[in-house]
Amino acid sequence: MSMSRLFAIAGAGHVVRRWVVISLLTFAMPAGAATLHYAATTGAPQPLTLYGVLDPPQVEPLLDAFHRQHPDVALTYYNLDSMTLHQRVLAERESPRADVVLSPAMPWQYQLANEGLSSPVTSATTANWPRWARWRHELFGFTFEPIVMVYRRDLASRLAPPKSHAELLSLLEAHGHELDGRVVTYDPRRSGAGYTYAIEDARISARYWDLVEALGRSHAALETTTSAMLKGLSDGRYWIGYNLIGSYAQAYVETHPELAMVVPRDYALVLQRLALVSRNAPHPATARRFLDFLLSRSTQHLLAKQTTLGAVHPGIEGPGTAASLRERLGDAIRPVEIGPGLLATLDTLKRQTLLEQWQQAFDSDSPLPADDTDVVPSSTAITPRFPAVSAPSSEEPSAP
Amino acid sequence: MTLPGRWHLSHLSLYRRLMIWLLCPLAVLVAIMLLQAWFASREAADRAFDRLLDAASLSIAEQVRWQQNRLWMDLPPSALEMLATDASERVFYALYDAHGDFVTGNRSLPSLPASDSGQMSYGTVTSDGMAVRLGVLRSRLEGWDRSDRFEVRVAQTLEGREALANRLFLSSLINIVIIAVLAVAVVLLSARFALEPLTRLRRAIRQRNPRTLAPLELPLPRELAELRRALNELLARMRRVRANQERFIGDASHQLRTPLAGLSARAELALRQTDPADWHAALTTMHDTVTKTARLAGQLLSLTRLNNPEATPARAPLSLSALAQRVVRESYTRYHRRGVDLGVELPVDEVTVSATDWQLEEALNNLIENAANYGATQVTVRVDMAPPRLSVEDDGPGIPESQRLLVLRPFHRGEETGSGTGLGLAIVDSIARAHDIHLSLRDARPDHPARPGLCVELGFLDDSNWHTATLGTASARDEAECPEPDTEPAEDAQSTSAGATRRGGNDGQET
Repeated sequence: MSMSRLFAIAGAGHVVRRWVVISLLTFAMPAGAATLHYAATTGAPQPLTLYGVLDPPQVEPLLDAFHRQHPDVALTYYNLDSMTLHQRVLAERESPRADVVLSPAMPWQYQLANEGLSSPVTSATTANWPRWARWRHELFGFTFEPIVMVYRRDLASRLAPPKSHAELLSLLEAHGHELDGRVVTYDPRRSGAGYTYAIEDARISARYWDLVEALGRSHAALETTTSAMLKGLSDGRYWIGYNLIGSYAQAYVETHPELAMVVPRDYALVLQRLALVSRNAPHPATARRFLDFLLSRSTQHLLAKQTTLGAVHPGIEGPGTAASLRERLGDAIRPVEIGPGLLATLDTLKRQTLLEQWQQAFDSDSPLPADDTDVVPSSTAITPRFPAVSAPSSEEPSAP
Repeated sequence: MTLPGRWHLSHLSLYRRLMIWLLCPLAVLVAIMLLQAWFASREAADRAFDRLLDAASLSIAEQVRWQQNRLWMDLPPSALEMLATDASERVFYALYDAHGDFVTGNRSLPSLPASDSGQMSYGTVTSDGMAVRLGVLRSRLEGWDRSDRFEVRVAQTLEGREALANRLFLSSLINIVIIAVLAVAVVLLSARFALEPLTRLRRAIRQRNPRTLAPLELPLPRELAELRRALNELLARMRRVRANQERFIGDASHQLRTPLAGLSARAELALRQTDPADWHAALTTMHDTVTKTARLAGQLLSLTRLNNPEATPARAPLSLSALAQRVVRESYTRYHRRGVDLGVELPVDEVTVSATDWQLEEALNNLIENAANYGATQVTVRVDMAPPRLSVEDDGPGIPESQRLLVLRPFHRGEETGSGTGLGLAIVDSIARAHDIHLSLRDARPDHPARPGLCVELGFLDDSNWHTATLGTASARDEAECPEPDTEPAEDAQSTSAGATRRGGNDGQET
């Protein structure tokens, strides 16, 4: 109840905008933020500013390659968490600082484009970009990151590790006591990413709610970031992680042999990082060059080989590409559709409805004490100031 | 030719006229069709896409309920997805409560005045600098406890409907252009086809031997057949004119050759004599012949002059009584010597007509001379008042009814008697034609079948209806240059009845 009260306050759109201004004052530079700068090495420097939600280990190969191909561009990359990025773009809507905005928070990114804060880019590269991975010529999905499960290898000796959502559900139903407190997933109430996956899961199957109930019964742990989940798994606190971002999980699992990653066979949500060029971008020509670079065959090849982000380009095959994932899983691949359905995700009432339903399902067995303490101050105490409208938090990859 | 003259309608070719009258309305028609197609395609696209707004807002409205003491809605993503077509429109939605307060949505959208038909109203508005099509659905909660009103407002950008409208318009455009091209082709072809007989006629006329006057023989449509008939009539008239001219020349040559041959023979005979008395006699005879021939030549000359359509001598008011008196006075003695009684009958008042003095005098002289030559013993010149009329009566043998038209011809050879040139009545006829005088010949004394005599009347038209009379006799004047036809008496009779009635009564003219 307290939750919904708070959401009700944050409900109306104009309130959201006012909050954006406050956020700039209070969250001037989040802790996880980093700035990378590449100075131009030849000719007259062409400035270019990027906002992104990609930490240096993932983004550096990309930017290095861009710098090699375009040494005349003086590139500045701001690594922000996705909520800060969204608020900043909204705050700078009249005179944007960023030329290109890259974010995995698909609904939020879509909302920006729908509002007309993006500008169309038409070139041979963008024209050939697959339709399912773009919206108009303004929003381009340039990565292909499945939402995965991760489990500890030693689990396999006792229980059959789940290979699909259905198996996870039956596992929880069969061995609920053994797995009590050993399963971890996103807290959709506190994480935008978790909320996005919950809503997509719920759209795909009504049995999702059985899964949430089962998770609630086994007192699943709730985290707000993939890296926290991975760390808990690695530490042995959790045995199974559900709905982790594949790109981070893959990188982490590669260096942690005790963990194994599973792309669910029945269906796998796929997240795409969306790139857009700002309307009234200060350096539109350079921004277009960057976008052309980002979607080019060679860059996509690089994404497939040197990062875990996954390539979308239809001409590239092999590990780490959309094509290979599709080949392996076929129709089970469910990329989050880049379309106005995403706007529904952001609807405040919708969010409240879903979260209440989720809460109900999760708490169906053991009512939370928080439900009894129907006092607003206490709920603000457990929820930080922003989660009501928060975008997914920045996802830190594992430490190298 | 001046510029306005060139553009004057009557100078415009038939083909151009047809083109203008067919293609201009066609162009206007095509323009109207295009305009109509433009608006129709816009409307059709709007209708099609408004259905989407309709469906989306209904689907949203179904989810609106009362929950937690407020309007509540579980937004179905499919409702928004159906608003985005292939054109990936931007989509906006908002829910407003009964007081017009924003409940939820991704943009504040304006309301629209309620429409007459149905719950939905549509409008194209500008929201945040973006042109969008807005649909507003007015609805109310359906439940046991509450029935609050609310408004679902959905909007989409216009790319999709514009694309559809353009596609629809393009297909109409192609159709209209095809129709227009076909229509133009048909118009061009049919105009060419319709005007083809004209070209044939022109070619037929151009290819004719310039000396031939044979009638045109070629199949033509009705409208042109009339033209062909008119042309053929003109040709026929020209044929008659030429025939008359040729005969006139032939007659004139013959008339001149006979006295000249006589002169030559008389001179030759005289040259064989040695007696000057014979020479004298021959010279006397020759002198007579030369005088007569000179008179003949003079008459030929005056006939030619009278028949010249180019020369129209000025007319002046003229007193018929004075004229008749003068002519009779001047020639009385001469005819008296030949045993002819010449008299004049005049009305009390002056009779004035508009005429050329010397021509009327000549006509009168010719008539008197003619009567005297053909055996009349009594010749009366009469002037009448109303209508003005000049007539010459005699008591000669007269002219049979059937001969009266023919005697008006020059050199008509009825009977080779008398001593005239054969030109007298022809000259009178020409003068009558030149003056639009009604010439008629009739028996002077119908009660004397043996010697009915001849009365030649010159009936003047009243001055008051001069102009209409002139017009009325136009067809008769066409033949003015031709003293008398002989090839087609039937047609001539027609024109005679229309213009002048020329009848003559004589047993022939002198040689």
